[in-house]
Amino acid sequence: MDHHFPLNESPITYTQNPVVTGTSVIALKYRDGVMLAADNLASYGSLARFKDVERLYAVGDFTVIGASGDISDFQYTKHLLDAEMVKEYYINDGHVLGAPHIYEYLSRVMYHRRSQINPLWNSYVVGGYHNGEGFLGYVDLKGTTYKSSSIATGFGAYFAQPILRKIVEGHENTLSEEEAIDAVDKCMRVLFYRDARSLNKFQRAKITAQGVEITQPYSLDTEWSFGDSKIN
Amino acid sequence: MNPVDFYNETLTSVPTEHGFYPYESNGGTALAIAGEDFCVVASDTRQSNGYLINARYAPKAFKMSEKAVLANSVFAADGNALVRRLTQRIQWYKHSHEKEISITALAQLVSNTLYYKRFFPFYTQVLLGGIDESGAGVVYSFDPVGSYGLEVCRANGTASALIQPFLDNQVEFKNVQFDDKPRMTLDRAICIAKDAFTSATERDIYTGDHLEIFIIKQDGITIESYPLKKD
Amino acid sequence: MRAKAEIPKGGFNFDNYRRNVFLEKQGLGLPKAIKTGTTIIGIHFKDGIILGADTRSTNDTIVANKNCKKIHYLAPNMYCAGAGTAADTEQSNALISSQLELHRLATGRQSRVITAVAMLKQMLFRYQGHVSAALIIGGYDISGPSLYNVHPHGSSDKLPFVAMGSGSLAAMAILESRWTKDLERDDAIELAKDAIEAGIFNDLGSGSNVDINIIEKDKVEILKNYAKPNERAVKEQSYKYKRGATAYLKEYVREFIVTEGDAMDIS
Repeated sequence: MDHHFPLNESPITYTQNPVVTGTSVIALKYRDGVMLAADNLASYGSLARFKDVERLYAVGDFTVIGASGDISDFQYTKHLLDAEMVKEYYINDGHVLGAPHIYEYLSRVMYHRRSQINPLWNSYVVGGYHNGEGFLGYVDLKGTTYKSSSIATGFGAYFAQPILRKIVEGHENTLSEEEAIDAVDKCMRVLFYRDARSLNKFQRAKITAQGVEITQPYSLDTEWSFGDSKIN
Repeated sequence: MNPVDFYNETLTSVPTEHGFYPYESNGGTALAIAGEDFCVVASDTRQSNGYLINARYAPKAFKMSEKAVLANSVFAADGNALVRRLTQRIQWYKHSHEKEISITALAQLVSNTLYYKRFFPFYTQVLLGGIDESGAGVVYSFDPVGSYGLEVCRANGTASALIQPFLDNQVEFKNVQFDDKPRMTLDRAICIAKDAFTSATERDIYTGDHLEIFIIKQDGITIESYPLKKD
Repeated sequence: MRAKAEIPKGGFNFDNYRRNVFLEKQGLGLPKAIKTGTTIIGIHFKDGIILGADTRSTNDTIVANKNCKKIHYLAPNMYCAGAGTAADTEQSNALISSQLELHRLATGRQSRVITAVAMLKQMLFRYQGHVSAALIIGGYDISGPSLYNVHPHGSSDKLPFVAMGSGSLAAMAILESRWTKDLERDDAIELAKDAIEAGIFNDLGSGSNVDINIIEKDKVEILKNYAKPNERAVKEQSYKYKRGATAYLKEYVREFIVTEGDAMDIS
């Protein structure tokens, strides 16, 4: 093996590791489209390094991507997507990239990078509204993809997905916006209780026929006083 | 000091690099049965990772032509990449030869495509089921680097060890003495596929959610789907 | 034979450790034990404790038992749900249960939950986590209802609601969003069922049915298979073989002869 390389030189290793990271992204389909949420924390190991980072990013008029994992890789991905949107705009043939196209592009980039053993260290959720219906897909650093009526990355896959599935599965076309917001809040509260790399300050995005709407960061009321009772 | 550490061969600890392993197992099972003039390809639709279910409906069987269906398991990203490459090659074939690719040619194409990545393989087990030029049902199965063979029935994926002996017994009548071995009818093949999957769902944690059955006949392909247990 | 009697030294013996590491490298590791992949929970409600468990046990990726029991008896007023290696949870419980019984016979008093917890955690700590038992202990004693969990290394917590096993995160998500103080009995059972079902449907290590135990003052109710949300599908056809389907080389018939007395009445 060694003889392939000059003496005292080791093969090129690209694979880094995540440094500044974002935790879970959660998302669900509902009657009017798709809703996503992610908190505003960027951690540096166990340090809560930046508390004002936006991890939901609108791409075009009907797509939002939510990112967990390495923040610098996310910023690079945003740059890639913006470049792609500009390229498409300048062709000026009336065609615009919708959620499925952006998802396909992102999936190919992610799979390509994993095949070079130089991955973008992220899990992405692509939410959108296209051809009269909601779109929701997942892609990660290994190029693994799937579409589902509810998606959660990172710790969210353990804590939020069970809650989301119970609410969403079989009710994708009847769930109201209020019910969807309730579901998101319920999940984000549980994640704040149980995920040590989370923050009680997050944003919510909705993508409907009317376009993209991303809320200002907000917090939830929490309850930590179970210890008062005689049972503890 | 922990006495166990004392007995360890190296006392100095080396910081471990966060390595990247480009593969993962996404579970799932597929099977194919060839009949005289038909072929059945069935697969579950659960995609998982570790103890998590990624998606309850993520199909891994795809219609490749009017007479061929391809099912794959293990690493979903590689499986999808393979299907994409093949789909494009099938289109090129169609345009340059002005005819649809035969399953025999398609099988060779799958093999070549897999072997092309011999030293960075597509981590996938492939099943190809369909109708050949003579109208007979055929099943081809492939290993991750392109070794392949023609078969009557084959199961692959996480529950393959549970289903293959069942198929050998019920389809090829291995280890049974019968005066009259019944012909394999389409109805019986579907029954066997369904029973294989409901049983595999009972015992294999990676198999479940939905069952998709592709029925390939001379006059086209139809898809039937059934619910499986979701636990 | 030893030349003279040695005084046994306290603590563990690691003589075989290097050998075992070597064997493991040669591909001769220990056989895999059956794990109860598991979702187990315990919650406080107004009048007592509810323990809940799924019923799947796995051997690697194969389901070993589709309807096993994970809530074990400790004392008449005390039960224990176990996750981890099946043998370890069963043996730890049996051992402590037996010691509690002897203690009751010696003292003539009802067992206390804290006693069982102390005995279990001391035992588990001695084994430094090698006894893979993650336990939830619930009971009702002189000091009222109490609920503890004990980790395999011997640490314990006393909490209003707990979950353990591979499905604990799914179950905890439900408990965190719905548990409140002084739940009514029926509501508490429903919450416990939903928490276990979250594990059953979202965690591949958990599955099949929901077992519930309700422990109140001088009253225990055991609801084995309280919910069965995963009935097996009916098979499409029968796989009964015709007589003579199995080939054989030799036939050997032996008659059973009754030598004394009347033939057995089998009517």
